[in-house]
Amino acid sequence: MKRRITFIQHVDAGFDPQQAVLTASSLSVRDLDAAREDRITVGLDELPEELRAVLEQSHELHLRWASERSFDAVAPFSSRVSPGLHVHYTPLNSESSSEALCTLLRTVVAPNKDAQYKDCSKPEDSFITTSLISTRFASSASLQYYTHLPSPQSLVKYIQNNVCSQSRADGPECDTRANALLSADSVDIDYDSISHALTLSGLWTSPPTGGWTDQFHKSASAADQIEFGLLGAEAGLEPEEIKMGGLLAVVGQDEKLKPTMFSFPSRHQPLTEPSSYTVSFASPTGLHPTMFISIPRSSLKRPLAPSDATCALHTYLTLPSTIFGDQYQLATTDPLFLESHNLVALRALAGEMDLEAPDWVVQRWGSNWLLELATPPEAEDADRTPDPSNWTATIPLHLRYLPPSETGHRTVHIPWPVVFWACTTEDGTKMGVNPFDRKNIGWDGLFGPRTMSYQLQPAGDHLVEEIDVPVLRIEAGDGYFQSKYIEFGTCAVISLGFMWVLWRLVRVAWSSGVGNKRAEAAHNKRE
Amino acid sequence: MALFNSPARVFIAATALRLILLVYGGWQDAHSAVKYTDIDYMVFTDAARYVAKGESPYARDTYRYTPLLAWMLLPTAWEGAAPWSTLTFAFGKALFALSDVLAGWLIVQLLVRCYRFPVERALRYVAAVWLWNPMVANISTRGSSEGLLGVLVAALLWATLTKKPILAGLILGLAVHFKIYPFIYGVSILWWWDAERDGSATVGSGLLSKALEFITPSRVKFTVAALASFVALNLVMYLQYGQPFLHHTFFHHLTRIDHRHNFSPYSTLLYLSAAGGAETRFEALAFLPQLILVVVALPLVLAKKSLTTAMLAQTFTFVTFNKVCTSQYFLWYLILLPFYLPSSSLIRKPTLGVSAAILWIAGQALWLHQGYNLEFLGLSSFVPGLFLAGLLFFVVNVWILGIIVRDGGEGAGEITVALK
Repeated sequence: MKRRITFIQHVDAGFDPQQAVLTASSLSVRDLDAAREDRITVGLDELPEELRAVLEQSHELHLRWASERSFDAVAPFSSRVSPGLHVHYTPLNSESSSEALCTLLRTVVAPNKDAQYKDCSKPEDSFITTSLISTRFASSASLQYYTHLPSPQSLVKYIQNNVCSQSRADGPECDTRANALLSADSVDIDYDSISHALTLSGLWTSPPTGGWTDQFHKSASAADQIEFGLLGAEAGLEPEEIKMGGLLAVVGQDEKLKPTMFSFPSRHQPLTEPSSYTVSFASPTGLHPTMFISIPRSSLKRPLAPSDATCALHTYLTLPSTIFGDQYQLATTDPLFLESHNLVALRALAGEMDLEAPDWVVQRWGSNWLLELATPPEAEDADRTPDPSNWTATIPLHLRYLPPSETGHRTVHIPWPVVFWACTTEDGTKMGVNPFDRKNIGWDGLFGPRTMSYQLQPAGDHLVEEIDVPVLRIEAGDGYFQSKYIEFGTCAVISLGFMWVLWRLVRVAWSSGVGNKRAEAAHNKRE
Repeated sequence: MALFNSPARVFIAATALRLILLVYGGWQDAHSAVKYTDIDYMVFTDAARYVAKGESPYARDTYRYTPLLAWMLLPTAWEGAAPWSTLTFAFGKALFALSDVLAGWLIVQLLVRCYRFPVERALRYVAAVWLWNPMVANISTRGSSEGLLGVLVAALLWATLTKKPILAGLILGLAVHFKIYPFIYGVSILWWWDAERDGSATVGSGLLSKALEFITPSRVKFTVAALASFVALNLVMYLQYGQPFLHHTFFHHLTRIDHRHNFSPYSTLLYLSAAGGAETRFEALAFLPQLILVVVALPLVLAKKSLTTAMLAQTFTFVTFNKVCTSQYFLWYLILLPFYLPSSSLIRKPTLGVSAAILWIAGQALWLHQGYNLEFLGLSSFVPGLFLAGLLFFVVNVWILGIIVRDGGEGAGEITVALK
């Protein structure tokens, strides 16, 4: 087991050497004002049987969970995913895809009472395969899943019950560490069959009240190691680089904190100027809600990428099965449509595309959409007072029919999409040397390996939109809205209508038979 | 009005109306993000593009039509520079609009030749109901293929009433291949085409001779031709496109759930049962009242009295009792109205006619209001709003249907001159 604890201090945050004290066997921090990342790497043999079984059948497995609360993604942790739980999975071979992952998923997701999630017995049931139309280089896991998950509570409970309970001495410590994930802004879990190791990372972008106060003890086992870093980040010499400096130590090995300074190219870059966006739906939403992505014009400055790089603004939507886009409508090249929505083009889409199916028929969790957004034309006169209005891109979407409910409504949760600039970099830039590199976040696989992204900051208290979907109102008790009224009402009215027409026909047949009118008339005359 | 003295004027006006709409539609498409062109037309033209590339039209999602349609629209897939591409894109719409006009012309011909209408009277009715009807012109110029059905039904009637059984059969086979519902006309035409109409009347009184009498040469020719053209078309399409052809043109319509709100009285029930909330399975029997009336009772009682009124009643019943109903379906019976209306009690008794029109429109309006509340305002108007509005509209339709049946029994829309 290996632990890495990184504190990232803001450039102008105060630091007193007394706040981080290293002894022969432990390291303690006090009132530290910093963002924090904890990363634990565990070998397969240290894991419980059930989890190991899942991992052993996986080529890769990546979980990405992000909080619904707004948080400030600091460099070098500036990448984001839409709030909720994302799973990227590649089975070891196509036959080995197993039920175990679904069971695990159920444990992690289902205990939430209002969980809206697509269950599976095998990942192929509810997972989607990656991009359908992207013609670009794509490198991502073969199967993908998403679900709304406001809190990692059940994941924490799972770790406590299955992982912590196994370990001998540091059980209580393990419990505490797991509990801490409840306040994390994002949690990543990674496994791949090459390293045979599971990595769990938690990210807290802001300290608890009063700052971080914690103590890290050297483990009894020699194999276990704790790396510690207290760093600050700033822009590197090259536009694609991040420069970091501060103190490093390995607890139990080093005698004192070692000052350090290093820089590396990073695929995720912070935007130097404040840049934010908000997401909303036009009200009333009806059955065809339109998503608004509003960006202050001041937030739309091209990032400080190399001047020869091409940059484009993108949004990546994660839509649960309850809501969907019409691929034919959005993939249009009609400039009038695109301009009216401030879109440039649909770049990639994946997942559930059925335009007609109700939600209860859809088995897969939903769909992903990568859209390039238009940016306002450059102002001719730079000195002019800046336009205070927002730049808004709109995305027309549609709701699926949902099962009836007692109230006549059902709430669906739609995570805010991520919005980012994607810029090309020079050939030969090696992003992999970044110790804080983050891959497998969905949209990164739709770009080349040397693409840099600059993410805008979602500005809101709650990064999930809730839409009230009108559904058929059916009450269980003895109110006015019982299903039997619909059943018998329909049956009675149609039967009566049928009888009425039949009666009319019988009367016609009675008075003039079923034959020819002329013949009948002649016949009548003869009488 | 002098306008109705001349067929040329009526048809030029009808063509001009469609031309104006075509040009206007092209202009709106080019200048507004809200398109005049129907979304279905995009499906057709996408499918035509696949066909042009040598692929299956079913490569386009939601293409649920015969490949014939995509083949016909092949010119829309021709690449070209700006003004040329606008023209090729509009080819299908122009074809549909032309079919409209042709259908109108056939109906006028029939009214004049078989129903002995003065030209002016025939033109007046056909213009009011079909040729100058802005809804008809709008639907075809937006690119909906219903206009093709209109001309097929008109041609079927023309071939039947002018006693061309083989041609009538071939047209019927094509129409059923195109859209399943015209099969209902086959029953009426068969029953109508008895020995007396066939001119091969032999009077026998025994059961056997009665049965033999039923088999008239025209009936046989009509049936064989219809089956031949239907089977041949399907065989060709199946050999060309295989299972997807069968699935999308036929099976899809049999297995679809139709849980979404529409004018059908079954709509709410289907939503309920599709979501697993119904205890009974009434909807599984929905085909019974519909088919008993449409395939058995209506042709049997009405076809020999007035073929066109029987066909109108059949279409009206089919649409009213169907498990799914959208406004395009109303076009299906519109083409048959000019035969029925002139001698109907709806025209003879203006109060009755006006009441029927008002009730029908009010039923629609009520439903549309509820639909608007749901679709655009997000109000949960499924019950009682849409449910009751759907049933009310059904009741209005059934009442009108009763009037049509009674009129049909009295010989409304009957051919006034016997053709030998």
